[in-house]
Amino acid sequence: MKLIISNVSGVPIYEQIKQQVKSAILSGELQEEEALPSLRTLAKDLKISVLTVTRAYTELEEEGFVKNVQGRGCFVMGRGSELIREQLICKVESSLTEAISAARMADLSPQELHQLLDILLEDKTDG
Amino acid sequence: MDNYLEVSNLSKTFPGFQLQNISFSLPKGYIMGLIGPNGSGKTTTIKLILNMLKRDSGEVKLMGLDNISDEKTVKSNLGVVFDSNYLCEEWTVAQAEAAVSVFYKNWDKKKFSGLIKRFHIASAKKIKELSKGMQMKLMVACAFSYDAKLLILDEPTGGLDPVSRDELLEILAEYIEDGEHGVLFSTHITADLERAADYITYISYGELFFSGSKDEFVDMFRIVKGGRGELASDLDGKLIGARKFSTGFEALIKSEDLKLFGHLDVEPATIDDIVVFTNREGD
Amino acid sequence: MNDTLKAARLDLALIRPYMRNICFTMAIPVAFAAINRSLVTGVSFAMCFIAMTAGYTFSVSEKSSMDRLYGILPISKKNLVLGRYLYTCSMGLLAFMFSIIVHPIVLRALGTIVQPADICLAAILGILMFTLYTVFQLPGYYKFGSINGRIFMYIPIVGFLAILLFVSELNITNNPVIAALAGNPIAAIIATMLVCVIAYLLSITVSVKIIRSKEV
Repeated sequence: MKLIISNVSGVPIYEQIKQQVKSAILSGELQEEEALPSLRTLAKDLKISVLTVTRAYTELEEEGFVKNVQGRGCFVMGRGSELIREQLICKVESSLTEAISAARMADLSPQELHQLLDILLEDKTDG
Repeated sequence: MDNYLEVSNLSKTFPGFQLQNISFSLPKGYIMGLIGPNGSGKTTTIKLILNMLKRDSGEVKLMGLDNISDEKTVKSNLGVVFDSNYLCEEWTVAQAEAAVSVFYKNWDKKKFSGLIKRFHIASAKKIKELSKGMQMKLMVACAFSYDAKLLILDEPTGGLDPVSRDELLEILAEYIEDGEHGVLFSTHITADLERAADYITYISYGELFFSGSKDEFVDMFRIVKGGRGELASDLDGKLIGARKFSTGFEALIKSEDLKLFGHLDVEPATIDDIVVFTNREGD
Repeated sequence: MNDTLKAARLDLALIRPYMRNICFTMAIPVAFAAINRSLVTGVSFAMCFIAMTAGYTFSVSEKSSMDRLYGILPISKKNLVLGRYLYTCSMGLLAFMFSIIVHPIVLRALGTIVQPADICLAAILGILMFTLYTVFQLPGYYKFGSINGRIFMYIPIVGFLAILLFVSELNITNNPVIAALAGNPIAAIIATMLVCVIAYLLSITVSVKIIRSKEV
């Protein structure tokens, strides 16, 4: 996983870590049960305070993205975990809404849109 | 024993200077920056911790032990780096090792030679021939060779070039990585601490201003900027410190007062901003 | 290794770069003894010289501000002081052994026969003088530092001049005290030792007191 810290973005460092971990989870780059980099190693590598990383990891845990196992490290929660699912559904909804409005502009009928979706779904399951 | 360093109500009076009721604690596995302008009492605090100065009152515990009654045990687990070399200048690096190593039961010769190699210090060189950065790294190498649990650095980066400063911060980050070591780092070059420090203890004019996590410290304050006329006179009292100039002003405020300044440009404060503005009585 | 020994070793390490000079200076008293054809002046001179080097440890450590090293080493202040006395006395003892053996040989080679009574007198005087020089010097250095306290370096010279005067004023062979001591060298040596031990104990106590109250 790529993690880079910007000094000039104005976004707090712990927030930058959180965002990058989240997007890695959502993009699938970080798989379920996969361990995040060790807290202290990450702090050392990024030359940031241990407490900053701790804060990022704690907040990620509170938000349900990762699970902290005492003495073993921080692990990515399953995709089925409520929150990520919700976030994914949100993503689907917004993408579909986008698709619908595009379809309207293109004058696509609801049937045609359904058909298109079915074809795409079939394609995905085949592939 | 989670706190490697516990200072409680430490006081010391000199003619013309007073260190009053300093209290802070540093848990193991973390880096604490000890900050404050020159003459604020940083070195005095460190010397009191090392029992090089006699405290008037208060208590200092290192790794759970009293710094005076258990001085010997405490010091065999303590590494110290001063702003300048404390080894005999005429010694070669190898002679310095021979002279100092006998005092530590667990001195690891292999580790020392490994560190010396890593820091590119020639062991045949005399101490006085080493650069300031090298001398500093030699002191660090000594402390690491007997696996000091707590490392205390007094202004180690003053007079160092950016490369050496960066190297030092990297060494420190590596040192605390296993969670079993701690660092107390006094400096007035706060850029060194901006990223690496976990905790900040800020002493100003001999008094404790703040001690706690760095994020909390930085979060307590904001910088506001605006034109000269934009500052209502009733808000003037809310400024902790300000710099006013012909075209506007810059000031430090408490984050809790932020809503009063909503109409102005607000920025997060750096440690430097906080130290500078809290020591400025306003222009 | 015990702490006092460690501290003495540290002092020795401080002096190492100057060791050759110190050894070299020990040759001067030999020449002095040879010119004066007197063992007593030779040995006294040697002990005066070596006592003058007692300040080296102080000046070297001050030059590198090693007070800070002493402040962080896991060793008590008392042991640091004891180590310094041990180092100083060891240097004195070495210089003493060297001159008490070498000077008579040189004198004999030059044709002056050295009597056992002379050796006895030289030994007692040498040891007493060294003790006298150092028991005042060391606390002085601890109190004032080697720079402000450099006046203490001249204690040995003053002492040496006094001895020179004392010896020339004294008719060695006819003095009853000397004769009595020469007649009972064991008693004389025991008395000397006793005086030295008491003097050092007092001096060490004072030095420890000074260093304990000192802040760096």
